[in-house]
Amino acid sequence: MTLLLGIVIFGIYSAALLAIGGVGFTLQFGVTNVLNLSFGSILTASIFLEYGLTGHSTNIWIAMAVGAASGAVVSLLIGHVVVGAYIRRGASGFSIAMVTIAISLMLQFGLEAIQGPDIYAYAASTNSTMNIGGVVVSSGQLTTIIVAVVAMAAVHLLLRMTKLGLAMRATAADVTLTRSCGVSPARTRAVAWLVSGALCGLCGVFLGIGEGSFSSTTGSDFFITLAAAAVLGGIGKPYGAMLGALVIGITSQAAAAVISPSYKSIAAWIILIAVLVVRPQGIMAEFAAERELVA
Amino acid sequence: MSTGMIFYLSGLAILLGINLIAIWGLDLQFGLAGINNFAYIVFQAAGGYAAALLALKPASAYGSFETYIGGFNLPFPLPLIGAAAVGGLLAVPVGLIALQRLRADYQAMAMLVLSLIATGLAQAQTGLVNGPAGLALIPQPLVGAFPSSPLGYHWIFLGLTAVCCALTWWVARGISRSPYGRLLRAVRESESAVSALGRNPNALRMTVLIAGGAIAGLSGGLLVEYVTAWGPSSWLYPETFLFLTALIVGGKGNLAGGALGALIVPIGIVELTRRLPAFGYPGMIDSLDWVAIGACLLLFLWFRPNGLIPERKQMFRERSTERTGSRMREAFAGRRTEAR
Repeated sequence: MTLLLGIVIFGIYSAALLAIGGVGFTLQFGVTNVLNLSFGSILTASIFLEYGLTGHSTNIWIAMAVGAASGAVVSLLIGHVVVGAYIRRGASGFSIAMVTIAISLMLQFGLEAIQGPDIYAYAASTNSTMNIGGVVVSSGQLTTIIVAVVAMAAVHLLLRMTKLGLAMRATAADVTLTRSCGVSPARTRAVAWLVSGALCGLCGVFLGIGEGSFSSTTGSDFFITLAAAAVLGGIGKPYGAMLGALVIGITSQAAAAVISPSYKSIAAWIILIAVLVVRPQGIMAEFAAERELVA
Repeated sequence: MSTGMIFYLSGLAILLGINLIAIWGLDLQFGLAGINNFAYIVFQAAGGYAAALLALKPASAYGSFETYIGGFNLPFPLPLIGAAAVGGLLAVPVGLIALQRLRADYQAMAMLVLSLIATGLAQAQTGLVNGPAGLALIPQPLVGAFPSSPLGYHWIFLGLTAVCCALTWWVARGISRSPYGRLLRAVRESESAVSALGRNPNALRMTVLIAGGAIAGLSGGLLVEYVTAWGPSSWLYPETFLFLTALIVGGKGNLAGGALGALIVPIGIVELTRRLPAFGYPGMIDSLDWVAIGACLLLFLWFRPNGLIPERKQMFRERSTERTGSRMREAFAGRRTEAR
């Protein structure tokens, strides 16, 4: 019973992390139609920046502010400036994937060169813990869950209640029509990269502080799990990503508890592949239509 | 030239050969048929493991300091043939999963995930191929066959690599120039046109995935027999981009482009920089190599997306029509003389 409760509680904690990042990834994909394979490296860069700029601060407010800001800036530079330039030059969908991979390699190994043999770890926080039916949960994990819920509510409000959100949803649905309504797609896309980066940075600092230590590959490993959540929910759909995060989070915790901790990520990745094999037409509905690549 | 230098240069030549084989195999899939195989390194890895397990004695023969399945102690050239076979066989499940009608960038991501799953499984299943530590003490081929010094053996291995290179070149050139190669180019350029002509594009992709996979397996087998050790850290997913960058820099879709890419990227950027005077901590140059590879990729995609040696436009002489044409000309000329 405690095992089951543990799987559910830690599954929800994993889901919270996945949802923050997954919604950021899927939102940007929906609006810009660019498969951003450098998302994981942006995540790592945000942790490195937070760690460096704040002097390893684990103060959750400072960490959140700096992490989100770092992610937003890096994401805007990569997405709007670099990737945007290649798209305006007429690069194909595959070339764009290669561009994001190239950026990802440069970022990841650049950070590895900076880190070197050093171990980057946050000071062990004297977190208070809570006992829920025999499962010990730290206050940091609870904070992550609360922040995720707030962030999801904020994304919901942004998409449903603001003009900007309407513009983003409209750009995701039909660029030409949106442009003819007098909405600047370029500005909307820049905002999408910014919001996506901010969520990515937020996810990064919670991941870094939650795990206690991090390295240059932290983000790229986590990214695929996060992409699994996004794909499961139907990529490009923020609400789908939230649901996907919950499924992936609980499944990966169950795999870790039942099989072995080394299967935590593998389980999520196999789900990602299974979605592709079993329901290609489900994803086809989203993917088959060759939409215009937009900068 | 000092013996050390000769040793180094011949080793470099062996590595160049092994990379050439791998890059030509990828070129068949990516350059010729347009398959975005982001899991290519897994085929090389599978070949490497196959060669290792076929050549090694059972684990107990080494005091069981590593655990693995098999250990068949087979003589040369069986491990290499096994490596190619396993590489080709692996293409079947990978193809069934990833060769669906997915958007190009999405297919690439599915491949990337397969690569990560393979690494994860190799690390998690410690009994299969010794987990994260990897295999060591892999026997080299033909060691006892000729009485030779270490340098002499280097030459023998170089000869073996050269033979494999020549074989790969011959196969890749044959495929590229055959009607089958023409079909693969057609799949790359216009899938719907191939379908309209009554050919199944996915079946064609599958065949070239198998052919390229077998070549990757062979290169993996050679590499493992050369370095005598193989573990998950040798084939992390970025290694695929080493080969892809080589193709994009050198020029995809032609063998000369692949060869130039092999010389510039895996040898020039990765191997030769190891000779630079050391700076920073040990391993810093390796990290910076990858930054350089990413930068190369970005620069070439911007300035020269077709590479240094672009693929030449293929002109196929239709022999039968030409013959008909000349016969018609003769007939026409004959009629004119008759008319006169």
